[in-house]
Amino acid sequence: MQMADQTQRNQDSHQEGGVPFFPDHFIKEMSVVALVLAIVSFLATLMPMPMGAPADPLKTPVGIKPEWYFLTVYQILKYVPRNIGIAFTFLIFPPFLMLFPLFYNSVITRFKYGRLILHTAGALGVITAIFFTMLAYLGFE
Amino acid sequence: MAGEKGNIFKRAWTAVADFFDERFDMRRVVSEFAGHNVPAHVNWLYCFGGITFLAFLIQALTGILLAFYYQPTIDQAYSSVLHIMEDVPFGVFIRSLHAWTANIMILMVILHMLRVFFHAAYRPPRELNWMTGVILFFTTVTFGFSGYLLPMNQLSYWATKVGSEIAGSMPFVGSEIQTFLLGGTKIADATLSRFYAIHVIILPIAISVLLGLHFLMVRKQGIADPL
Repeated sequence: MQMADQTQRNQDSHQEGGVPFFPDHFIKEMSVVALVLAIVSFLATLMPMPMGAPADPLKTPVGIKPEWYFLTVYQILKYVPRNIGIAFTFLIFPPFLMLFPLFYNSVITRFKYGRLILHTAGALGVITAIFFTMLAYLGFE
Repeated sequence: MAGEKGNIFKRAWTAVADFFDERFDMRRVVSEFAGHNVPAHVNWLYCFGGITFLAFLIQALTGILLAFYYQPTIDQAYSSVLHIMEDVPFGVFIRSLHAWTANIMILMVILHMLRVFFHAAYRPPRELNWMTGVILFFTTVTFGFSGYLLPMNQLSYWATKVGSEIAGSMPFVGSEIQTFLLGGTKIADATLSRFYAIHVIILPIAISVLLGLHFLMVRKQGIADPL
């Protein structure tokens, strides 16, 4: 019931203050669209994707790395036992990331600094991810 | 009904609008879609989700164009991509756009998630939209992983080899997942067919359904109040 009220309140608040979606906000959105199209066209034109050598199962290339978004996991797997790292990456982290909002009212806001602790943990997670990505990028073993 | 006033364009527009309004109550549908106000606290940090969607649209368009020429077999894959790069008009541009936008899309998903996380916009009643978003994140990363094999260059081959070995060391179900991914014990035609089917059929259907749910929930629940 309280939740329904909250949803209703959010819908109402949209009708009151703020700016009209069309045309005011829409024009801003279209300018972002133009900017993004310009940036990706710029990148694709000036730095076209190289073709690379054809796949050769007999010739392992030296110093290959996965795409940047896999570098954190790739680097961490160098330091922790592989099955523990894999279990954390695939079996523990995704369900935790998905389900923690369910405990927002019952656990997180129950404590005085609950949200501060959660957000600090999140920020530390981000810093750790950037740190390991940089280590992997620089080729630390 | 069409008014007598206005120039020919305005009257033509009104006639078309009336046509659809009489049949589908279109003016109400459009005003529900675009007639709302955007809350005053919305700032530039709120644009990452929209840019992700724009990137998805670019990927769909450039991906379809690449699919016209790409051949998902071990013998043909590399040479068909080479053909795209060397012979097909604007082929270099379309393939580079697809590859660059893939990276931009993943970056934007991450920034969007961080924005939502630090605004605690996932809090009730929006938990389900956060969950859809987390699945969308993993869907996007899987798009990246499956697309990486398709050109069949050295990077493709070895990234997939290492990636499937990592998946293969998962506890309990590792070797089954590895066999399922590769369609056997090593990277071969079966692997390429599977990755192609995943990349151009399974994931596009999945992401379209998830994006639909994601947007419907935003429209129904509105943008979260600031903390």
